[in-house]
Amino acid sequence: MSKVNTVLGTIPAEELGFVAIHEHIGYGMPGSELDTKWWKTPEQRYEETVPKLRQFHEYGGGTFVDATGICNGRDVDYYKSLSAKTGVHIVACTGFVGGDTALPHFARATVDYLSRQFIHEITVGIGGTGAKAGIIKVGVSRGGRMTELDKRIYRAAARAAAATGVPILTHLAIDPEPAVAIFNEEGLPLDRVLFGHVDDGVNAPITPDTWIVQQGGRLGFDTFGYETELTDPPFWARPRKDRMDHFLRFVQGGQVDRVLASADANCSPLGWPGVKGHTVNYIFEVLIPDLRNNGVDEETITRIFVDNPADFLSIRN
Amino acid sequence: MTDTTTSTSKTVNTVLGPVPAHELGVVAVHEALLSVVPGAEYAYDITIDRAEIFEILAQKLTDFREHGGKTIVDSTGMFHGRDLKLYEALSRSTGVHIVASTGMGPEEMLGGYFLTPQTNPPTPWPAEKFAGLFAQEATEGMVVPRLERRGAAGMVTVTATRDGMTATDESLFRGAARTALATGIPASIRFGKDALVELEIVLDEKLPADRVLVGGLDRRDAVAAGAPLKVAERGAYVALDHIGLEDDDAYVNDRERATLVLDLVKAGHGGRILLSSNAIGVAKGQLGHDVAYSYVASTFIPLLKSLGLSDADARRILVDNPRDLLTVR
Repeated sequence: MSKVNTVLGTIPAEELGFVAIHEHIGYGMPGSELDTKWWKTPEQRYEETVPKLRQFHEYGGGTFVDATGICNGRDVDYYKSLSAKTGVHIVACTGFVGGDTALPHFARATVDYLSRQFIHEITVGIGGTGAKAGIIKVGVSRGGRMTELDKRIYRAAARAAAATGVPILTHLAIDPEPAVAIFNEEGLPLDRVLFGHVDDGVNAPITPDTWIVQQGGRLGFDTFGYETELTDPPFWARPRKDRMDHFLRFVQGGQVDRVLASADANCSPLGWPGVKGHTVNYIFEVLIPDLRNNGVDEETITRIFVDNPADFLSIRN
Repeated sequence: MTDTTTSTSKTVNTVLGPVPAHELGVVAVHEALLSVVPGAEYAYDITIDRAEIFEILAQKLTDFREHGGKTIVDSTGMFHGRDLKLYEALSRSTGVHIVASTGMGPEEMLGGYFLTPQTNPPTPWPAEKFAGLFAQEATEGMVVPRLERRGAAGMVTVTATRDGMTATDESLFRGAARTALATGIPASIRFGKDALVELEIVLDEKLPADRVLVGGLDRRDAVAAGAPLKVAERGAYVALDHIGLEDDDAYVNDRERATLVLDLVKAGHGGRILLSSNAIGVAKGQLGHDVAYSYVASTFIPLLKSLGLSDADARRILVDNPRDLLTVR
């Protein structure tokens, strides 16, 4: 049987249902917790978050994968309460969004130590929560090139993924050659890696997406909704049509099994303003109607949001 | 009696609120209570057992008190394990005044929020933003992350990178100077490469030199460069703050520290000397530095006296100097 770790326990992959593969309950850069400008009361946090998850559930959403790494405000006890009260499965991650979000204790650590941290969180649990991580997050630091620390984290993640069977999800897919080399050296099949954010406005032009697929990797079109059409778009926004055309090149070009899609929205951002009006439910409210309007059939939509994620998230050992 | 009248109107910020400056007594001005390397709180192999930590720290503070200590400054800043509720309970339980600090550094110890913010480009924080963050801790209270503010910070402490100040280190130093200037709490700087050059950065912000403690001046390279005397001549406080550290080649030993103290007193700078140990009460994610908080009073001061330090100068160094520094202006 295929299994997936969620914050409330290990479940059969068949139970995942419709999956949002790259989302955040709340994300903040390490240190943002010291700045009161971002603080909200717990009442406000729940008020901002619960209706979005309930709506997601009502639309038919089954599983919310939280890609908030260690040190970025990951709060597993909170996720457990949200999952229990809304009926949405939440998969938490181990790992780091990028080297620049790993605090000194981890930034100074060896590959061996980092891999033990990840394996512990996958097989024993995250802190005292008892919840096991279901994916490993890695990423490229700001600046466009993988740093030495980024590479150490990728190698540790590759070892943890190989040892536990849990997949890897990346923040950014720019400069992927060193990443692919590390995964190959560590013997991790590349279909266990989702190269994320191939579709954002800043990075899409410099991401060798076809090359990644040729190597065997999966592509994450996972910033749907961050569009220049918004009133106050973030710097990584992209025109809606450009992103859709980009996505369709793979979906309609025989590569549908290589793609996953998500909105990378924050239910309640922790250390930044967030993007007003952008939620995980963009997937149901805008993206899926858009796909249908572009002639994508129901079976293909199911493959993107149900079958591919189940295959990817299933612990493979 | 006039002295009593003036000093009662002057206070020092402690974790339990402002305390009249004349009540401070013997002060350990550069110490760490709980010291956690940022991120270690998430490590799979590190346990933070608050009851156990409390017991260890309470025992050490009680020992400090039994040797005449009345006030300790936790000079680890706002992002290195500072635990305000624990410190409040410790202070109530042991009767030792605890002054907690705001500030951060060096750059390597900062969170990404300050270094690679979610802006394009990811410009690191400038001095004015650090000044705002630190000053609020001195006026509105120190933060328990994402929860609440507690008592006001009694010192702003910053550190520079050992190989030389980075641009962000300079922003931290300038931010600390502006904090001290705006709020009246003192600034503590732990220099990286060159104590004098880095002291000038905070003085360049128009902070009076007698509001600045320069830490780490018992480092061998600083001593060789004559930095302790030069810092005193500049009017800042000279902290010989690794008392009891005898086996580290980077620092002079206690005998050499004693000579430094006596030389400074002889040169007329007895009013600028501070002694402390940078002891770590409980260390997480790093090696401990297990010197007793009482070591200065119980062991080093007797050594100084045996070498000729007067009782009046000893009192000045242990009581008067730190009181003057910590008193909010």
